[in-house]
Amino acid sequence: MHSAVAHHFESLEKQAEAQRLGMWLFLATEILLFTALFAAYGVYRFLYTAAFSEASRGLETWLGGVNTLILVTSSFTVAMGLDAATRGRTRRTAGLLGLSILLGAVFLALKAFEYHHHFAHGELPGRYYTGPIAGSGGALFFTLYFLITGLHAIHVLIGMTVLAVVAVRCWRGAYDAEYHVPVELAGLYWHLVDLIWIFVFPLVYLI
Amino acid sequence: MTAHAGDAAVPAPPHSHRGRYLAVWIALLLLTGLTWGLSRSHVPGFAGVAIALGIAIVKGTLVALFFMHLWDRPGPSRLVLLSSLVFVALLIGLTLLDVSTRSPLALPPDADTAPEALRRTILEEEAAGRRSPPERLPRATP
Repeated sequence: MHSAVAHHFESLEKQAEAQRLGMWLFLATEILLFTALFAAYGVYRFLYTAAFSEASRGLETWLGGVNTLILVTSSFTVAMGLDAATRGRTRRTAGLLGLSILLGAVFLALKAFEYHHHFAHGELPGRYYTGPIAGSGGALFFTLYFLITGLHAIHVLIGMTVLAVVAVRCWRGAYDAEYHVPVELAGLYWHLVDLIWIFVFPLVYLI
Repeated sequence: MTAHAGDAAVPAPPHSHRGRYLAVWIALLLLTGLTWGLSRSHVPGFAGVAIALGIAIVKGTLVALFFMHLWDRPGPSRLVLLSSLVFVALLIGLTLLDVSTRSPLALPPDADTAPEALRRTILEEEAAGRRSPPERLPRATP
């Protein structure tokens, strides 16, 4: 039996099934965490439709678009990394995960550039908002903007860390064609981060 | 019949998903371009929101089915995701139903949906400096 099987599991496949289920349960809680923010966004968008449209139009849509392309591509490289792992080519997996981490870093760099732009224009959350939109709509938009994109950026950072740990272990030969569940689970987390951004992009930048 | 796990002498060659990943990636890039392009034409009101969210749902489904392997793996993972989506629908749907059916007087007075006269008065007072914006504290004097 493979050395990665814990003593309370009958086989590697049963252990892998349990690990996948555990990961999906965790991802479900992550989805609900972001849903609470999306619900708040929905409420205030309904109440301050005009201000939200105006604030959203003031964002650099191309930055959000480029960041979407970057995250989608990083998801693709993670998926290709898992494919290499299933064939036992774990050095290749390490390289592809490294590329994904790099794409994550570019995403965060663009986000930081964008935040800097907001700070310079007084587009800050809540009572610190000094931008041009009258009433509380502009302040509320930027409160939710920073909460949603900030929480997402924290998830990108965590995802990059997880991918880095798995990539190093891949490079050192910890996984093989038979056992590579950690590559799969790290990939699931990264895809979820991508999935959430796929919804953040239209909500914050497009509508 | 298929061999039991453990007594298979020759492991089945792993089925490669590279072609599928590539197709999904290209589809995601194209859909991102599409939703971006459509947003530039400023489809008004609810239609614009519905189009943007519809494209996002298609993209999200592609990621969940193929990058996250729900297509190949029926069973508990699908059940977990689908039940989380039920709660997403409840949380967003019921919250919006609540807010959209309240009496206008129960809404923040400067909201778009608040009575027009009240809203105008508040914005005018704010512009004239007689009222500080509701979400902001008075500026600290240095």
